[in-house]
Amino acid sequence: MTSRKPLPKINADTAAFWEGCREHELRIQKCGECGHLRWPPAFLCPHCLSGKTELVRASGRGTVYSYTVYRVAFDPAFRGDLPYVVALVALEEGPHLVTNIVGCDPSAVSCDMPVEVVWDDVTETVSLPKFRPAAR
Amino acid sequence: MHAVGVLEAGLCRHVLLSYGDCGRSGNSMMQLLANLNAEDAVFGHFGATGGYALAARRAMHEFHTGPDTWKQIAVGQRKWANLNPRAAMYGRTMTEADYDRSPWIVEPFRTADNCLLTDGGRACILTTLERARDLRHPPVTIMGLGMYNPAADIAPARHLAGPTGARRAGETALRMAGITLDDIDACEIYDCFTYTVEITLQDYGFFKPGEGKDWLQGGTIGPGGRMPVNTSGGQLSEAYYMGLTPLTEGVMQLMGRCGERQLGPKTGNKKPEIILCSDNGGILQSHACYILKRG
Repeated sequence: MTSRKPLPKINADTAAFWEGCREHELRIQKCGECGHLRWPPAFLCPHCLSGKTELVRASGRGTVYSYTVYRVAFDPAFRGDLPYVVALVALEEGPHLVTNIVGCDPSAVSCDMPVEVVWDDVTETVSLPKFRPAAR
Repeated sequence: MHAVGVLEAGLCRHVLLSYGDCGRSGNSMMQLLANLNAEDAVFGHFGATGGYALAARRAMHEFHTGPDTWKQIAVGQRKWANLNPRAAMYGRTMTEADYDRSPWIVEPFRTADNCLLTDGGRACILTTLERARDLRHPPVTIMGLGMYNPAADIAPARHLAGPTGARRAGETALRMAGITLDDIDACEIYDCFTYTVEITLQDYGFFKPGEGKDWLQGGTIGPGGRMPVNTSGGQLSEAYYMGLTPLTEGVMQLMGRCGERQLGPKTGNKKPEIILCSDNGGILQSHACYILKRG
Protein backbone atom coordinates (compact mmCIF):
# COMPACT_ATOMS: atom_id res chain seq x y z
CA MET A 1 0.00 0.00 0.00
CA THR A 2 1.35 3.44 -0.81
CA SER A 3 0.48 6.21 1.61
CA ARG A 4 -0.21 9.73 0.44
CA LYS A 5 2.15 12.58 1.09
CA PRO A 6 0.86 15.21 3.50
CA LEU A 7 -0.70 18.39 2.13
CA PRO A 8 -0.27 21.87 3.62
CA LYS A 9 -2.45 22.59 6.66
CA ILE A 10 -3.73 25.92 5.45
CA ASN A 11 -4.88 28.43 8.10
CA ALA A 12 -5.79 32.11 8.24
CA ASP A 13 -2.11 33.10 8.47
CA THR A 14 -0.89 30.95 5.59
CA ALA A 15 -3.91 31.08 3.22
CA ALA A 16 -2.60 34.02 1.18
CA PHE A 17 0.74 32.28 0.65
CA TRP A 18 -0.86 29.06 -0.60
CA GLU A 19 -3.32 30.97 -2.82
CA GLY A 20 -0.28 32.57 -4.42
CA CYS A 21 1.38 29.19 -4.89
CA ARG A 22 -1.71 27.98 -6.68
CA GLU A 23 -1.06 30.75 -9.21
CA HIS A 24 2.68 29.98 -9.18
CA GLU A 25 3.58 33.15 -7.30
CA LEU A 26 5.59 33.36 -4.09
CA ARG A 27 3.67 35.91 -2.02
CA ILE A 28 5.51 37.13 1.02
CA GLN A 29 4.12 39.36 3.76
CA LYS A 30 5.64 42.81 4.05
CA CYS A 31 4.99 45.04 7.02
CA GLY A 32 2.97 48.10 5.95
CA GLU A 33 4.68 50.13 8.67
CA CYS A 34 8.41 49.28 8.76
CA GLY A 35 8.73 47.35 5.49
CA HIS A 36 10.12 44.16 7.10
CA LEU A 37 9.53 41.01 5.01
CA ARG A 38 8.55 38.13 7.23
CA TRP A 39 8.39 34.33 7.12
CA PRO A 40 6.58 32.33 8.37
CA PRO A 41 3.35 34.32 7.84
CA ALA A 42 1.88 35.99 10.93
CA PHE A 43 -0.70 38.68 11.69
CA LEU A 44 1.80 40.98 13.40
CA CYS A 45 5.21 42.20 12.31
CA PRO A 46 7.82 40.57 14.59
CA HIS A 47 9.98 43.73 14.34
CA CYS A 48 7.53 46.56 15.02
CA LEU A 49 4.32 44.69 16.00
CA SER A 50 2.29 46.53 13.38
CA GLY A 51 -0.78 44.71 12.08
CA LYS A 52 -0.59 46.48 8.71
CA THR A 53 0.35 43.90 6.12
CA GLU A 54 0.98 43.99 2.38
CA LEU A 55 1.86 41.11 0.09
CA VAL A 56 4.81 41.30 -2.24
CA ARG A 57 5.67 38.89 -5.00
CA ALA A 58 9.11 37.34 -4.55
CA SER A 59 11.22 36.79 -7.67
CA GLY A 60 11.67 33.07 -6.98
CA ARG A 61 15.45 33.47 -7.01
CA GLY A 62 17.62 32.73 -4.03
CA THR A 63 20.48 30.71 -2.62
CA VAL A 64 20.75 27.52 -0.59
CA TYR A 65 21.34 28.61 3.04
CA SER A 66 21.61 25.00 4.23
CA TYR A 67 20.50 21.56 3.10
CA THR A 68 20.27 17.93 4.16
CA VAL A 69 19.97 14.69 2.25
CA TYR A 70 17.29 12.35 3.58
CA ARG A 71 18.42 8.71 3.39
CA VAL A 72 15.53 7.39 5.51
CA ALA A 73 11.81 7.89 4.86
CA PHE A 74 10.28 9.03 8.16
CA ASP A 75 6.92 8.87 6.31
CA PRO A 76 6.62 5.87 3.96
CA ALA A 77 5.06 8.14 1.31
CA PHE A 78 8.53 9.59 0.68
CA ARG A 79 10.28 6.23 0.23
CA GLY A 80 10.24 6.47 -3.54
CA ASP A 81 11.99 9.85 -3.42
CA LEU A 82 15.06 8.69 -1.46
CA PRO A 83 17.60 10.13 -1.38
CA TYR A 84 15.99 13.59 -1.47
CA VAL A 85 17.14 17.06 -0.48
CA VAL A 86 15.44 19.28 2.11
CA ALA A 87 16.88 22.78 2.14
CA LEU A 88 16.52 26.20 3.66
CA VAL A 89 16.47 28.57 0.71
CA ALA A 90 17.28 32.23 1.32
CA LEU A 91 15.10 34.21 -1.08
CA GLU A 92 16.86 37.22 -2.58
CA GLU A 93 14.23 39.35 -0.83
CA GLY A 94 15.39 37.98 2.55
CA PRO A 95 13.04 35.33 3.96
CA HIS A 96 14.19 31.70 4.33
CA LEU A 97 11.88 28.87 3.20
CA VAL A 98 11.99 25.18 4.04
CA THR A 99 11.72 23.42 0.66
CA ASN A 100 13.22 20.76 -1.59
CA ILE A 101 16.04 21.06 -4.13
CA VAL A 102 15.07 19.12 -7.24
CA GLY A 103 16.38 18.73 -10.76
CA CYS A 104 19.91 17.77 -9.77
CA ASP A 105 21.78 14.99 -8.01
CA PRO A 106 21.84 15.50 -4.19
CA SER A 107 25.64 15.46 -4.31
CA ALA A 108 25.56 18.53 -6.59
CA VAL A 109 23.90 20.71 -3.93
CA SER A 110 26.04 23.09 -1.86
CA CYS A 111 25.53 25.95 0.56
CA ASP A 112 25.13 29.37 -1.09
CA MET A 113 24.46 27.89 -4.55
CA PRO A 114 21.99 29.95 -6.62
CA VAL A 115 18.56 28.37 -7.11
CA GLU A 116 15.23 29.30 -8.67
CA VAL A 117 11.67 28.27 -7.93
CA VAL A 118 9.99 25.43 -9.79
CA TRP A 119 6.37 24.52 -9.12
CA ASP A 120 5.22 21.06 -8.13
CA ASP A 121 1.46 20.83 -8.77
CA VAL A 122 0.65 18.08 -6.28
CA THR A 123 -3.17 18.40 -6.58
CA GLU A 124 -5.51 20.54 -8.67
CA THR A 125 -5.51 23.20 -5.98
CA VAL A 126 -2.13 22.82 -4.24
CA SER A 127 1.25 23.69 -5.72
CA LEU A 128 4.46 23.39 -3.72
CA PRO A 129 7.34 25.79 -4.32
CA LYS A 130 10.50 23.75 -4.84
CA PHE A 131 13.86 24.94 -6.13
CA ARG A 132 16.36 23.83 -8.76
CA PRO A 133 19.86 25.02 -9.63
CA ALA A 134 19.52 28.44 -11.28
CA ALA A 135 19.92 28.60 -15.04
CA ARG A 136 23.17 30.39 -15.87
CA MET B 1 15.14 27.94 36.92
CA HIS B 2 11.43 28.03 37.76
CA ALA B 3 12.06 25.55 40.57
CA VAL B 4 14.68 27.88 42.08
CA GLY B 5 12.14 30.71 41.84
CA VAL B 6 9.38 28.92 43.75
CA LEU B 7 11.83 27.70 46.41
CA GLU B 8 13.34 31.17 46.86
CA ALA B 9 9.86 32.67 47.08
CA GLY B 10 8.94 30.15 49.75
CA LEU B 11 6.03 28.78 47.73
CA CYS B 12 7.39 25.21 47.92
CA ARG B 13 9.65 23.24 50.23
CA HIS B 14 10.79 20.64 47.72
CA VAL B 15 10.49 20.49 43.95
CA LEU B 16 10.61 17.22 42.03
CA LEU B 17 12.05 17.50 38.52
CA SER B 18 11.06 14.39 36.62
CA TYR B 19 10.88 12.93 33.15
CA GLY B 20 9.59 9.57 31.99
CA ASP B 21 8.79 8.28 28.55
CA CYS B 22 8.34 5.13 26.52
CA GLY B 23 10.31 6.58 23.65
CA ARG B 24 11.40 3.18 22.41
CA SER B 25 8.30 1.02 22.81
CA GLY B 26 5.73 3.77 22.25
CA ASN B 27 5.39 6.48 19.63
CA SER B 28 5.01 9.49 21.95
CA MET B 29 8.41 10.96 21.10
CA MET B 30 7.86 10.57 17.36
CA GLN B 31 4.46 12.25 17.72
CA LEU B 32 5.99 15.13 19.65
CA LEU B 33 8.66 15.57 17.00
CA ALA B 34 6.14 15.34 14.16
CA ASN B 35 4.19 18.22 15.72
CA LEU B 36 7.39 20.25 16.07
CA ASN B 37 7.52 21.05 12.35
CA ALA B 38 4.22 19.80 10.91
CA GLU B 39 4.27 22.63 8.35
CA ASP B 40 7.41 21.21 6.76
CA ALA B 41 6.09 17.66 6.32
CA VAL B 42 4.89 18.53 2.82
CA PHE B 43 8.55 18.70 1.82
CA GLY B 44 9.40 15.45 3.58
CA HIS B 45 11.05 17.30 6.49
CA PHE B 46 10.35 15.59 9.79
CA GLY B 47 11.38 15.60 13.41
CA ALA B 48 14.54 16.87 14.98
CA THR B 49 17.14 15.00 12.93
CA GLY B 50 16.44 17.01 9.78
CA GLY B 51 16.45 20.33 11.63
CA TYR B 52 19.73 19.70 13.44
CA ALA B 53 21.18 18.33 10.19
CA LEU B 54 20.40 21.69 8.55
CA ALA B 55 22.22 23.47 11.38
CA ALA B 56 25.18 21.07 11.19
CA ARG B 57 25.46 21.47 7.41
CA ARG B 58 25.57 25.25 7.69
CA ALA B 59 28.25 24.85 10.37
CA MET B 60 30.27 22.65 7.98
CA HIS B 61 30.05 25.47 5.45
CA GLU B 62 30.89 28.31 7.84
CA PHE B 63 33.57 26.87 10.10
CA HIS B 64 34.53 23.60 8.44
CA THR B 65 33.37 21.15 11.07
CA GLY B 66 32.09 17.71 10.05
CA PRO B 67 32.04 14.00 10.76
CA ASP B 68 35.74 13.95 11.77
CA THR B 69 34.83 16.19 14.69
CA TRP B 70 31.57 14.45 15.55
CA LYS B 71 33.02 10.96 15.56
CA GLN B 72 35.31 11.93 18.46
CA ILE B 73 32.22 12.92 20.42
CA ALA B 74 30.34 9.70 19.61
CA VAL B 75 33.35 7.51 20.39
CA GLY B 76 34.34 9.44 23.54
CA GLN B 77 30.87 9.25 25.04
CA ARG B 78 30.55 5.57 24.20
CA LYS B 79 33.63 4.91 26.36
CA TRP B 80 31.75 6.39 29.31
CA ALA B 81 28.67 4.28 28.52
CA ASN B 82 30.85 1.19 28.57
CA LEU B 83 31.53 1.97 32.26
CA ASN B 84 27.84 2.50 33.07
CA PRO B 85 25.74 -0.66 33.57
CA ARG B 86 22.53 1.36 33.20
CA ALA B 87 23.51 2.68 29.78
CA ALA B 88 21.70 1.23 26.78
CA MET B 89 25.08 0.88 25.05
CA TYR B 90 26.95 -0.51 28.10
CA GLY B 91 28.01 -3.71 26.34
CA ARG B 92 28.68 -2.20 22.93
CA THR B 93 31.96 -0.52 22.16
CA MET B 94 32.39 1.94 19.28
CA THR B 95 35.58 2.60 17.34
CA GLU B 96 36.13 5.38 14.82
CA ALA B 97 35.75 2.76 12.09
CA ASP B 98 32.39 1.71 13.58
CA TYR B 99 31.30 5.34 13.37
CA ASP B 100 32.37 5.56 9.72
CA ARG B 101 30.35 2.44 8.93
CA SER B 102 27.22 3.70 10.69
CA PRO B 103 24.43 4.23 8.11
CA TRP B 104 23.27 7.67 6.98
CA ILE B 105 19.95 8.86 8.37
CA VAL B 106 19.76 12.47 7.22
CA GLU B 107 23.08 13.64 5.82
CA PRO B 108 25.36 14.88 7.29
CA PHE B 109 24.18 12.70 10.21
CA ARG B 110 24.73 8.99 10.58
CA THR B 111 22.92 6.74 13.06
CA ALA B 112 25.87 7.21 15.44
CA ASP B 113 25.24 10.99 15.51
CA ASN B 114 21.70 10.53 16.81
CA CYS B 115 20.62 10.16 20.42
CA LEU B 116 18.77 7.08 21.59
CA LEU B 117 15.07 6.53 22.12
CA THR B 118 14.68 4.83 25.49
CA ASP B 119 12.00 3.65 27.90
CA GLY B 120 12.57 4.96 31.37
CA GLY B 121 12.83 8.06 33.47
CA ARG B 122 14.94 10.20 35.75
CA ALA B 123 14.16 12.44 38.67
CA CYS B 124 15.93 14.93 40.85
CA ILE B 125 14.80 16.81 43.96
CA LEU B 126 15.54 20.49 44.43
CA THR B 127 15.28 22.05 47.85
CA THR B 128 17.02 24.69 49.93
CA LEU B 129 20.60 24.09 51.04
CA GLU B 130 19.49 24.18 54.66
CA ARG B 131 17.07 21.27 54.13
CA ALA B 132 19.46 19.41 51.85
CA ARG B 133 22.11 19.31 54.60
CA ASP B 134 19.78 17.09 56.68
CA LEU B 135 19.39 14.51 53.91
CA ARG B 136 21.24 11.24 53.44
CA HIS B 137 23.31 12.23 50.41
CA PRO B 138 25.81 15.08 50.33
CA PRO B 139 24.22 18.18 48.82
CA VAL B 140 25.00 19.58 45.42
CA THR B 141 24.35 23.28 45.01
CA ILE B 142 23.55 25.47 42.03
CA MET B 143 26.25 28.11 41.58
CA GLY B 144 24.92 29.73 38.44
CA LEU B 145 22.06 29.62 35.95
CA GLY B 146 21.54 31.13 32.53
CA MET B 147 18.86 30.89 29.88
CA TYR B 148 18.69 32.37 26.41
CA ASN B 149 16.22 31.65 23.60
CA PRO B 150 17.34 33.26 20.34
CA ALA B 151 14.66 32.15 17.81
CA ALA B 152 11.16 30.76 17.72
CA ASP B 153 11.54 28.71 14.55
CA ILE B 154 14.28 27.45 12.28
CA ALA B 155 13.21 29.31 9.13
CA PRO B 156 13.77 32.84 10.46
CA ALA B 157 17.08 31.85 12.08
CA ARG B 158 19.97 33.78 10.55
CA HIS B 159 22.68 32.27 12.74
CA LEU B 160 22.02 28.59 12.17
CA ALA B 161 25.72 27.81 12.67
CA GLY B 162 25.79 29.70 15.96
CA PRO B 163 26.18 31.41 18.20
CA THR B 164 23.24 29.55 19.71
CA GLY B 165 21.59 30.50 23.00
CA ALA B 166 24.51 28.73 24.70
CA ARG B 167 26.72 31.82 24.24
CA ARG B 168 24.67 34.16 26.40
CA ALA B 169 23.27 31.48 28.72
CA GLY B 170 26.82 30.30 29.44
CA GLU B 171 28.12 33.83 30.08
CA THR B 172 25.22 34.50 32.45
CA ALA B 173 25.72 31.27 34.39
CA LEU B 174 29.50 31.77 34.72
CA ARG B 175 29.01 35.36 35.88
CA MET B 176 26.45 34.29 38.48
CA ALA B 177 28.80 31.54 39.68
CA GLY B 178 31.75 33.96 39.75
CA ILE B 179 34.03 31.48 37.96
CA THR B 180 35.61 30.94 34.54
CA LEU B 181 35.76 27.90 32.27
CA ASP B 182 39.12 27.02 33.85
CA ASP B 183 37.27 26.14 37.07
CA ILE B 184 35.03 23.56 35.39
CA ASP B 185 35.99 19.93 36.11
CA ALA B 186 33.52 18.21 33.77
CA CYS B 187 30.57 18.97 31.48
CA GLU B 188 27.23 17.23 31.07
CA ILE B 189 25.94 18.57 27.75
CA TYR B 190 22.51 18.07 26.20
CA ASP B 191 23.47 15.82 23.30
CA CYS B 192 20.48 15.08 21.09
CA PHE B 193 23.09 14.91 18.29
CA THR B 194 26.88 14.83 18.28
CA TYR B 195 26.93 18.28 16.66
CA THR B 196 24.87 19.70 19.56
CA VAL B 197 27.80 18.89 21.88
CA GLU B 198 30.28 20.61 19.57
CA ILE B 199 28.29 23.81 19.08
CA THR B 200 27.40 24.02 22.79
CA LEU B 201 31.03 23.66 23.98
CA GLN B 202 32.10 26.07 21.24
CA ASP B 203 29.54 28.68 22.22
CA TYR B 204 30.52 28.35 25.88
CA GLY B 205 34.03 29.26 24.75
CA PHE B 206 35.98 26.02 25.27
CA PHE B 207 37.35 26.44 21.73
CA LYS B 208 37.04 28.81 18.78
CA PRO B 209 34.70 28.08 15.84
CA GLY B 210 36.05 25.12 13.89
CA GLU B 211 38.74 24.26 16.43
CA GLY B 212 36.62 21.56 18.05
CA LYS B 213 38.30 18.83 16.05
CA ASP B 214 41.72 19.71 17.51
CA TRP B 215 40.33 20.28 20.99
CA LEU B 216 38.65 16.86 20.98
CA GLN B 217 41.72 15.09 19.58
CA GLY B 218 43.33 12.45 21.78
CA GLY B 219 40.35 11.52 23.94
CA THR B 220 39.74 14.92 25.59
CA ILE B 221 36.19 14.09 26.65
CA GLY B 222 36.57 10.38 27.49
CA PRO B 223 37.71 8.62 30.66
CA GLY B 224 41.05 10.09 31.75
CA GLY B 225 40.66 13.01 29.35
CA ARG B 226 41.35 16.60 30.31
CA MET B 227 37.67 17.66 30.10
CA PRO B 228 35.28 14.75 30.70
CA VAL B 229 31.99 15.25 28.86
CA ASN B 230 28.77 13.26 29.25
CA THR B 231 30.17 10.81 31.76
CA SER B 232 27.13 8.50 31.73
CA GLY B 233 27.34 8.04 27.97
CA GLY B 234 24.84 10.86 27.56
CA GLN B 235 21.78 10.79 25.35
CA LEU B 236 23.89 9.32 22.54
CA SER B 237 24.89 6.21 24.49
CA GLU B 238 23.15 6.02 27.89
CA ALA B 239 19.51 7.08 27.56
CA TYR B 240 17.38 10.00 26.40
CA TYR B 241 15.59 11.67 29.31
CA MET B 242 15.59 15.17 27.88
CA GLY B 243 17.42 17.67 30.12
CA LEU B 244 17.45 15.21 32.99
CA THR B 245 20.10 13.02 31.36
CA PRO B 246 22.78 15.71 31.79
CA LEU B 247 21.38 17.21 35.02
CA THR B 248 21.11 13.99 37.00
CA GLU B 249 24.54 12.81 35.86
CA GLY B 250 26.09 16.09 37.02
CA VAL B 251 24.41 15.74 40.41
CA MET B 252 25.34 12.05 40.79
CA GLN B 253 28.99 12.71 39.89
CA LEU B 254 29.27 15.49 42.47
CA MET B 255 27.61 13.27 45.09
CA GLY B 256 30.13 10.54 44.25
CA ARG B 257 27.49 7.94 43.36
CA CYS B 258 28.67 6.88 39.89
CA GLY B 259 30.40 3.53 40.48
CA GLU B 260 32.87 2.51 37.78
CA ARG B 261 32.50 5.78 35.92
CA GLN B 262 32.93 7.94 39.01
CA LEU B 263 35.30 10.76 38.11
CA GLY B 264 38.41 10.45 40.25
CA PRO B 265 41.39 8.12 40.55
CA LYS B 266 39.42 5.21 39.05
CA THR B 267 38.87 7.00 35.73
CA GLY B 268 42.15 8.95 35.77
CA ASN B 269 40.35 12.25 36.28
CA LYS B 270 40.27 14.85 39.01
CA LYS B 271 37.57 14.36 41.65
CA PRO B 272 35.03 16.95 40.52
CA GLU B 273 34.16 20.07 42.48
CA ILE B 274 32.29 21.97 39.77
CA ILE B 275 30.32 20.56 36.82
CA LEU B 276 28.68 22.55 34.03
CA CYS B 277 25.41 21.15 32.60
CA SER B 278 23.33 22.22 29.62
CA ASP B 279 19.88 21.77 28.21
CA ASN B 280 18.42 22.94 24.92
CA GLY B 281 15.13 22.86 23.10
CA GLY B 282 13.65 23.10 19.63
CA ILE B 283 16.26 23.14 16.89
CA LEU B 284 18.90 24.94 18.98
CA GLN B 285 16.30 27.62 19.72
CA SER B 286 16.31 27.62 23.49
CA HIS B 287 19.18 27.01 25.88
CA ALA B 288 19.80 26.64 29.59
CA CYS B 289 23.14 26.41 31.36
CA TYR B 290 23.59 25.53 35.01
CA ILE B 291 26.72 25.19 37.04
CA LEU B 292 26.72 22.76 39.95
CA LYS B 293 29.09 22.54 42.91
CA ARG B 294 29.79 19.81 45.43
CA GLY B 295 28.70 20.71 48.97
